[in-house]
Amino acid sequence: MKGYAVYFDQPVPYARAERIQDALVSARIAESIPDTVLFLEHTPVVTLGRRRREEHLLVAPGELQAAGIELYPSTRGGDVTYHAPGQLVLYPILRLGVQDHDAHGYLWNLEEIAIRTCADFGVPAERVPGKSGAWTVAGKIAAIGFHLKRWVTVHGMSFNVDLDLDGYRHIVPCGLHGDPVCSLQSLLGDEAPSVREVRRRMKDHFEAICGRRLDLCSPDQLPGSLARIWPEE
Amino acid sequence: MDVPKDYLYTNSHEWIRMEDRIATIGITDFAQSQLSDVTFVELPSTGDQVAAGDEVAVVESVKAATDVYSPVTGAVAEINERLVEHPEIINDDPYGDGWMFKIELAEPKEVDQLLDAEAYENSLPAG
Repeated sequence: MKGYAVYFDQPVPYARAERIQDALVSARIAESIPDTVLFLEHTPVVTLGRRRREEHLLVAPGELQAAGIELYPSTRGGDVTYHAPGQLVLYPILRLGVQDHDAHGYLWNLEEIAIRTCADFGVPAERVPGKSGAWTVAGKIAAIGFHLKRWVTVHGMSFNVDLDLDGYRHIVPCGLHGDPVCSLQSLLGDEAPSVREVRRRMKDHFEAICGRRLDLCSPDQLPGSLARIWPEE
Repeated sequence: MDVPKDYLYTNSHEWIRMEDRIATIGITDFAQSQLSDVTFVELPSTGDQVAAGDEVAVVESVKAATDVYSPVTGAVAEINERLVEHPEIINDDPYGDGWMFKIELAEPKEVDQLLDAEAYENSLPAG
C-alpha cells in the first residue's frame, strides 16, 4: 500500500512534531491513514527520553536557554539527545504488519537506511554491536530511538548532515560516554551534500528497505486523510 | 516461543493469569524477545482505575519502547516493584518473576474475550 512522505522545509519545534506524531499514530492505529513518514529538521533542542538521566545533561538548563537551545522532556525511548537544523530527522509512523511484528528487524532497517545513505556520499558506516545507530570512523552519525504503540512505530532516527556539532557538548548523547559524534559535513567538508539531497536519498532507501512506496507531500499541501487529522498550529 | 497453556493472552502480547477476581499480567516471551534487553519499566500505581485497552505501563529496551495495555477493567491491586531496579527479570522469566501488575476485575466477563494459549500461539509470526 502507498504511504506518504511529508517533507518539512522549515525547522519544526520538537513539541509540534510530537503533537503531529501523536495524531498520526492514533489515526494509523485506527487504520484511517496509511503509513506516513515525516522528514524534518528540529529547531535546536535537547530532549530527555523516558529513561532520562539528568547527569547526562552536562550544563544547567539556564545555560542551554542562553545558547538558544530548548530543553524538552520527551516520551520517546532512550536517553538524552540533541537536535538542530542541519540534522535530518526521520519519523516513520508505520504499522508493522502481523508477519513483520519484528522490532529487531525494524531497528536493523533504520540502521540500513543510514548506512546506505552514508555510502551514497562515499562515507563508510556500520553497526556497532550493543549500540544502535550508524557509526563512521569519526563516531556516530545516526541515532535511533523508537516507540511501538500497538505495533505502530513512533519517533525514529536522526542523521547528522551539516548541523553545528558544538551543541552536543552540552550532553552525553544517548548516555554513551566517550563516543564522539560526527556529521557528513565534519567528514566531507565542502563536499558535504545539503539536507535536501540527503532527504531525497534517504526516502529512496526507506522505500527499498521498508518495502513501501511513499507519495511526497508537504505540510501545506496534505492529502485529505492526513489533513483531516493534522493538529492545528 | 514459550506459551504456557494455563494462561490467557492478548493480541498485543500481554499474558493474564487468573486467580479468583485477581488478574496477574505481564508480557509474553515473544514480546520480551522482540524488545531484547529490557532496561526500563514504567508501572501503574496501586489503586489506579484502568479500563481494558488502556496504556498502563511501558517497557523499554536499548532503543525500542513499547506500551503495555491492560487486558481488563478494574483497579490496580499490586505492582511488581522489583522490576524498577531489575527490569532484566522480564527477559529472564517473563511468565513468572517478570509479572508486571495485578488487577482486581470489575467486569469478570471480559476474561471471556481473551485468547487461549493455542489461539495466541497461532497469532504469532511463523518461525
